[in-house]
Amino acid sequence: MVAQDFIINGFQLPLPLAVLLLGGLASPLVGILSRKFEVKKIQEAWMVIVSASALVTVYLLYQTVKATANEILVIGMWGQAPPLAGCFEIDMLSVFMAGSIGFLGLLVAVYSVSYMERETRLTEFYTLVTFMMAGMTGIVMAGDLFTLFVFWELMGLSSYALVAFLKRTWGPIEAGFKYLMMSATAGAFLLLSMAIIYGMTGSLNFAVIADSLRGAPSSPWIFILFSTLVVGFGVKSAIVPLHTWLPDAHPEAPSPISALLSGIVIETGLYALTRVLFLAFEPGMFKLPMAFLAVLTMTLANVTALLQSDIKRMLAYSSIAQIGYMLMGLAAGTAYGVMGLFLHVFNHSIMKGVAFLASGSIVHETGTRDIKSLRGVGKMMPLTSISLFIALLGLGGVPGTNGFISKYHLFSAAFGSGLGWLGIMGVLNSALSMAYYLRVMQVLLGSPDKGFKAHEAPILMVAVTLVMAVIIVFLGVWPAPIISFATDASEALVNGLSTFIGAVLG
Amino acid sequence: MMPLAPFVATTVIMIIIGLGCLMFKRDMVRLLIGVEILFNAANLFFIALATQSPGMIDPFAHSVVMMAIVLDGTVIAVGLAMVLNVYKHYKTIDIRKLRRLKW
Repeated sequence: MVAQDFIINGFQLPLPLAVLLLGGLASPLVGILSRKFEVKKIQEAWMVIVSASALVTVYLLYQTVKATANEILVIGMWGQAPPLAGCFEIDMLSVFMAGSIGFLGLLVAVYSVSYMERETRLTEFYTLVTFMMAGMTGIVMAGDLFTLFVFWELMGLSSYALVAFLKRTWGPIEAGFKYLMMSATAGAFLLLSMAIIYGMTGSLNFAVIADSLRGAPSSPWIFILFSTLVVGFGVKSAIVPLHTWLPDAHPEAPSPISALLSGIVIETGLYALTRVLFLAFEPGMFKLPMAFLAVLTMTLANVTALLQSDIKRMLAYSSIAQIGYMLMGLAAGTAYGVMGLFLHVFNHSIMKGVAFLASGSIVHETGTRDIKSLRGVGKMMPLTSISLFIALLGLGGVPGTNGFISKYHLFSAAFGSGLGWLGIMGVLNSALSMAYYLRVMQVLLGSPDKGFKAHEAPILMVAVTLVMAVIIVFLGVWPAPIISFATDASEALVNGLSTFIGAVLG
Repeated sequence: MMPLAPFVATTVIMIIIGLGCLMFKRDMVRLLIGVEILFNAANLFFIALATQSPGMIDPFAHSVVMMAIVLDGTVIAVGLAMVLNVYKHYKTIDIRKLRRLKW
């Protein structure tokens, strides 16, 4: 029982999505009840329960998908046969991404309990977070472009509001408006690309698109479609030169939201780009443009990150650089490269999650984001700093962390597919990125100025960051299970395309 | 079957107008209108393509456009809420005054 039937058995949703959507809808009611009866923390408990049950249902979904023929589960939303109506088409890749979303979502939910304590309007906050997770889960499970677009806008709307959540100061509003303008423009281009796809194939279903567009003779429309797709998905996934909203929006959001945005929202954009590109084009067609974008993205982001003095802003630029590494896997165009891409998506979600949550704890306690004035924090907040160190080493790709594993696979995929120069640029960039990670560590370990005091963060926040840091090291030492899961996921996308088409068209 | 060329031309013109509006206007409400023009260009293109299927006008495209109109309406609503907040802080809705975030 994976698809949830509603009312009369006409309307079906995959179970994780149903849990998140219903949880989000019930969230305001829970908030009202908790205010009415003056019981504290019900809202927080509800959010933790919803995200935990989303993770559990993703596991149930995993087992169901494993058990179905060809490992593809098709759910027609309105009980209609899929090519006509909207549908969900769930393969291993969807389960992998949904698992990453649920996992980081649960950790962030636990962290927010303590972090957002002093804020008001918590009901709105938790409702928006739940809907953002629902939007992402919907995107990764969508079986046609229209369903994807609806959930894309759901994710977008909640994230605009969350970026501008702390609206008492000017920063979040300004960043939120910038984010909204750029993302909404990208949404218009996405709609345009959908129109072009509709004009070429007569449908928006993924299977029909793949069946009729792949290997089509090149025409001007193919190139227009390619560029509108890259613009439409590229803004959300912060590919340089479409990244300019990210370094403003991510630091200005509350820290748990920064972790979610950097850890998984931009990767969901990249997932959508990867999925649609592999469906609509042969890998040979998008190889070189993607390689070019990858080099541009990582080089520019790494150089700019060196210049930052704000720790969260530096981490935001580091996220853009990681997107560049992930694009290398897409540029390789092989199943192995895509495996590296999604392995890095998962690993990066954990690493960037810790980095933002731990630096969020530091900002929470010291009240400043300036790297220079954080001198000596390492002695006052040892546990938080240790987890931050592990995360930064992982982001730099030091052996023994999971960041090393996935970067190794990405670089060797680039070398293996005849793009040697791309791999070399990746290695050089990875080395360059250590410069700014080490700078933060050096500052944190320095001796503090007189009169500068900070306490260790609340126990819940420390616990979350430490658990995630342990996961980073654990997956760096014993990566076999997650690699085999990611291999399954990438095989489903790259080599299992004919079964993906067959599941719908028969 | 209706000729497609006039619709494609109109779509292109609307995209140019929308992008121009985003580039050259300084009033934040006008920027949101620019986004709306871009969305409507895409919607128009969708509707125009729906007339191309032989023998009928495809209702699928119309249902997609209906939902797209709702979705871009919500985006614009959130944008207008942000413009209100900007006005409370800056006492102006001139986008060029919002220049404190850099690099």
